[in-house]
Amino acid sequence: MFNTKKTVKTIAISTFSATFLLGAAQTWAAGEHGGGHGAKSSIGTAGKAASATRTININMLDNLYEPKEISVKEGETIRFIVKNSGELVHEFNIGTSAMHTAHQKEMEMMVDHGALEPDKINHAKMKMDMGGGKTMMHNDPNSILLEPGKTGEVIWKFSNASKIEFACNVPGHYDAGMMGKFHFSH
Amino acid sequence: MRNLLYVGMRCCAAVAFSLFMMPLASMAGVYNLTVDKVMIDTGSFTKEGIGYNGASPGPVLRFNEGENVTINVKNNLDDMTSIHWHGLILPYQQDGVPTISYDGIKPGETFTYNFPISQSGTYWFHSHSGFQEPDGAYGAIVIKPKKRDPFRYDRDYVVQLTDKHPHSGARIMRNLKTMPDYYNRQQQTLGDFFSDSAKNGFGATMSDRMAWGEMRMMPADIEDLQGFVPLINGKGPSQNWTGLFKPGERVRLRFINSSAMTYFDIRVPGLKMLIVNADGNNVQPVKVDGFRIAVAETYDVIVRPTKEKAYTIFAASMGRSAYGRGTLAPRKGMVADVPKLEKRPLLTMADMGMNHGNMAGMDHGAMKMNGDNMKGMDHSNMKGMDHSKMSGMGPKPDPFYASGSGLAPKAVKDKKFLSYKHLKTQKKMFKFRKATREIELRLTGNMERYIWSINGKKYEDDEEIRLKYGERVRFKFVNETMMSHPMHLHGMWSILDTGAGKWNPIKHTVSIAPGTTVYTETEVDAAGQWAFHCHLSYHAAAGMFRKIVVEGGPKIALLNTMQNKEDLK
Repeated sequence: MFNTKKTVKTIAISTFSATFLLGAAQTWAAGEHGGGHGAKSSIGTAGKAASATRTININMLDNLYEPKEISVKEGETIRFIVKNSGELVHEFNIGTSAMHTAHQKEMEMMVDHGALEPDKINHAKMKMDMGGGKTMMHNDPNSILLEPGKTGEVIWKFSNASKIEFACNVPGHYDAGMMGKFHFSH
Repeated sequence: MRNLLYVGMRCCAAVAFSLFMMPLASMAGVYNLTVDKVMIDTGSFTKEGIGYNGASPGPVLRFNEGENVTINVKNNLDDMTSIHWHGLILPYQQDGVPTISYDGIKPGETFTYNFPISQSGTYWFHSHSGFQEPDGAYGAIVIKPKKRDPFRYDRDYVVQLTDKHPHSGARIMRNLKTMPDYYNRQQQTLGDFFSDSAKNGFGATMSDRMAWGEMRMMPADIEDLQGFVPLINGKGPSQNWTGLFKPGERVRLRFINSSAMTYFDIRVPGLKMLIVNADGNNVQPVKVDGFRIAVAETYDVIVRPTKEKAYTIFAASMGRSAYGRGTLAPRKGMVADVPKLEKRPLLTMADMGMNHGNMAGMDHGAMKMNGDNMKGMDHSNMKGMDHSKMSGMGPKPDPFYASGSGLAPKAVKDKKFLSYKHLKTQKKMFKFRKATREIELRLTGNMERYIWSINGKKYEDDEEIRLKYGERVRFKFVNETMMSHPMHLHGMWSILDTGAGKWNPIKHTVSIAPGTTVYTETEVDAAGQWAFHCHLSYHAAAGMFRKIVVEGGPKIALLNTMQNKEDLK
């Protein structure tokens, strides 16, 4: 139904390195810690295309998502085909509310450094060394950042039920309401 | 009224048929306003004033984008009156400025306004006659968009500010003309002189004071009108206007500054504010801890209180002589702490324009300036600056204030205060193109005689500004005075050059801080004649006002920017 190869090619940049500014352990290594600390901190892991049992289309408009909320099953691998139909850059990022808050600060820095314009991602600037070998590259599997008109995908394996959200962390967008909840079922 | 009209129409088959035939855009609403003498109770004093439908502020007019409105305005006063729809794009005959749009509305008469609503957002209306607006003749306009706004909210409140004074507008103007510092209660004393001398040395203090004398200004002249009580939706600080919320709800607050003279610094301690709209136009959302609202501007913000507690809406006047206060609370009667006013700021040499290379007519030799004070950036060259390339952590100085200005909001670590530079339009309303010509407007004044002017000339002494339909004009505002001036162009948008190119915000009122040069651009897309003035009531009346005449264009000025908007989609 979907031409996977083509879609993969158009992936602009995959997510912001979570290791930038914040230690990996604090943010999304949550997957590994999940079992020990209870379901709360478990966001899941990168999924394999072959294991995907479902495809969900995500339409990103100026400062909202369609659909507004998503229902998933525990342990399910989903392929999200994400299209940016807006006029501004948007992100589809899977994480906890705290992870999104931390990521928003990083994105604000990207804006300050000219790496992110309202409708443009400056790839060269994203590669800039921010000190200590850290860059602003988005290459994490739990998210995708897209310019207007672009389409990409995120394949994600959800773990057990947890309080996680999909969100756009471009400054201001989360607070404007560009975020939604994942609802879990067994 | 409108609903009744609709019901009536639906009952009639013939009309129903014609409704069916008409495009949705021609839906029509009828609104009635009376202009009345009213009593205004501020909690500190009660004063007779002017209002609409028996109250000040008047009602919130709620329109729909695409609607044709008919507004009947009955004048119950003994004087002429008028209503201007601030920020609305409409045919010039409907703009409500006596002598420019029409003759005004005579006592006892009803004038019927009729125009299409081609925009959405938060606006306001007020009298454009005499000092009726400072006397209470103002109200709010909320226009529902055709498409949803690019942000979510659960509740929606208008938060309309004013600076109610115990004196009538006419009396204030007389007093200011006789003695410009009549209402400036914060003058520096001999005591201040001695303490400054101890701190800065006698020589420096002496030359500082002499420079101020040459300018015929006082460093405390941030507000030339003090002694007012700030009102929020007509309620003084003790009367505490309250908006209710349920924890977790997003609350849209539509701030409108309807003051005669006062800028306010707004914050809601304990909550971040998401700025989503400025002057009626959506902006890319910016999260801040505070913002300054110039006279006549509007800002829509979204707050999201999650706790079961009250929050104070705190509106400190820019000169810190007074504050307005309201409350957001889960239940009526709940209150939160009210912050204390900070120390009053003083203007500096930077606000005097000392950092400018283009202060024509100023005798620098006579200023006895210390060379050290002359440092700073030349703001006339600032437009090409790429703010994104400015390095360094922590809050950066706001480029819309002179470097070293005493007026600039204080940078506080980890707190963000809105600057014009943060405003980026959400939707591109106009194609981005180079301006066809530039018009320089020096904002000038003589404080000693309370004359405020443009290019050294008062309204009555200068000719109108002539623009050509279809051109894109770049206005260069050079503020040579020591006061901030909120410049308001009627009928056409002002695209504020923040250096963001096609994302420059689109406003109806642009504040020019002392000692700065600011550029705006206007697509001249509205035929007819329009007012263009400083929105400080007493500055406009003293002469900081021009008539704009648009030459050419369609004979019937019914075109509006909506068509441009449609073309761009």
